[in-house]
Amino acid sequence: MRPQLSRTLVLGALAVTAVLAIDGVMHLLAAQTPFGGPRPPMNEQAGGIIGWLLAKQSEFYREMSSTIRAAKTDGSAVWALLAISFAYGIFHAAGPGHGKAVISSYLVANRETARRGIALAFVSAMLQSLVAVLIVAIGAWLLNITAKTMCGAEKIIAIASYGLIAAFGARLVWTKGANFIRALQVHPPVPALALASVSASHGHGGQDHADHDHTGHDHGHHQHSHFQAHHDHSHDDHGHAHDHDDHVHDEHCGHSHGPLPSELAGPGGWRRGLGAIFAVGLRPCSGAILVLVFALAQGLFWAGIAATFAMGIGTAITVAAIAVLAVSAGGIARRLSRASDGSGALIMRGIEFAAAGLVLLFGVGLLTGYLFAEPLTCLQSIL
Amino acid sequence: MRPMTWRLTGWLTLVMLAMLGGTAAQAHPHVWITSTSELMYAPDGSITGVRHAWTFDDMFSTYALQGIESKKKGVYTHEELAPLAQTNVESLKEFGFFTFAKADGKKQKFEEPVDYFLEYKGGFLVLHFTLPLKAPVRPKVLALEVFDPTFFVDFKLADKDPIRLIGAPEACKFEFQRPNDGAASAQALGEQNFTDGGNVNFGAMFANKITVTCP
Repeated sequence: MRPQLSRTLVLGALAVTAVLAIDGVMHLLAAQTPFGGPRPPMNEQAGGIIGWLLAKQSEFYREMSSTIRAAKTDGSAVWALLAISFAYGIFHAAGPGHGKAVISSYLVANRETARRGIALAFVSAMLQSLVAVLIVAIGAWLLNITAKTMCGAEKIIAIASYGLIAAFGARLVWTKGANFIRALQVHPPVPALALASVSASHGHGGQDHADHDHTGHDHGHHQHSHFQAHHDHSHDDHGHAHDHDDHVHDEHCGHSHGPLPSELAGPGGWRRGLGAIFAVGLRPCSGAILVLVFALAQGLFWAGIAATFAMGIGTAITVAAIAVLAVSAGGIARRLSRASDGSGALIMRGIEFAAAGLVLLFGVGLLTGYLFAEPLTCLQSIL
Repeated sequence: MRPMTWRLTGWLTLVMLAMLGGTAAQAHPHVWITSTSELMYAPDGSITGVRHAWTFDDMFSTYALQGIESKKKGVYTHEELAPLAQTNVESLKEFGFFTFAKADGKKQKFEEPVDYFLEYKGGFLVLHFTLPLKAPVRPKVLALEVFDPTFFVDFKLADKDPIRLIGAPEACKFEFQRPNDGAASAQALGEQNFTDGGNVNFGAMFANKITVTCP
């Protein structure tokens, strides 16, 4: 394989990361403006695909109220409501507060698997739905508080969520920063990155190195998926410091350590993701709150709850798709960097560090945006 | 190598979709307002202000009414809705009341709203309020736009009589343009600095543009 292609692919991966970054910045801007609406530095046209998507989304959203009304007399309308809510969730997921950018950055930083990304997306979306249901069930149904008071609760939850994201990001930056510095020490950057051939890496799959003695290593989550054939894995012979996510071998091999499925399934594996789930899933989406309050007023609270969870599933699908995208981008970058020698590992540490920085940036940005800009994300505080 | 190239193509497609999705989601409205507006004229023919009647969509109306007590179930008096109306005008202030006026090309400022109240009619909340101009004007051409630049609120001119001139000189004529008129997006390109300059106003493409000409 030609080096040019490798380079192109690395650029592709970087482009994906950049897109995520831009997207995150958009989210920050969005969080700063009242109403959740972005200060629009957008310069795209209203027509074409975007116009169509926009129209579709509004359509779904608007249909929700009429479908809930219809469900009062015709029970079968609930199915339509579920379908609309689901579709709306898919379209709407990319909006602010859905943690798409946070989850993606987290996955890239921690080099998580796609499967884990999908699981994170689903669990956090379900949590988000649950929080919305709880707010309305307790606030509106049990206590009959006003929308304004309910908004106060939403704000507190949002601030907690953003604070968690920031704390979570700070922790990631700390660990990833240490890794990056270590990688820098092992492999100082060289002017010309020698991107070697990717085809050199043959998969020899299935070699299980889980039985290696890794005690004391801070292996976040990775298996030794060695694609390099005929390699002697006598780790004990090397005096490597295995205290970072990837082994920065200063000789011969290009090990790539991906997560081992068994590690994901373990309780520790879930605990690692829990922070991300809570940080992202805590903040309910105002659309769901609106639908729930409306359903409650129509005497069909249960239909509103069903719609909220359908919306959550739709949301999860979009977030999961983007998470998989981010994971794949990270994966390709890793595969290419493995082919090159030391600088590859350095690039990977750099990407992970940058992704960790993004999580922190989102958290701090959302938090300050929320605390210092006019905090008007609840619909009620506006009109 | 070929699978890699394929995958790259796949990613780029996904990235594109993700970007489109993100953009669409951010510009997606959550509140719908059907608006009718009256331009108020002084006896000398100058424009003194705008009086809006904004009908909120049913979901938002229900949400806003959550927890508001009324003597009779499902019936809300102006008094019962007064605190909510107060909140409305206070928060609308930050967005310039979504009302942008230019007299002969010169941007006009509005005073704090007066005579505001909410009424509840057939499941919808209607907000009435008057925006007095800081200084009455007597332009040849008055351009009035009602829209949310962030497009969180989707404004739609009422189907019937969305615009009225109250006490205007006989010779004054008005025309209006709905966002779906198609000409709107072309107009947005020329009017992109309408509100605050610099940024392109995405919502401007969805503006309801009213033009009053007096010879």
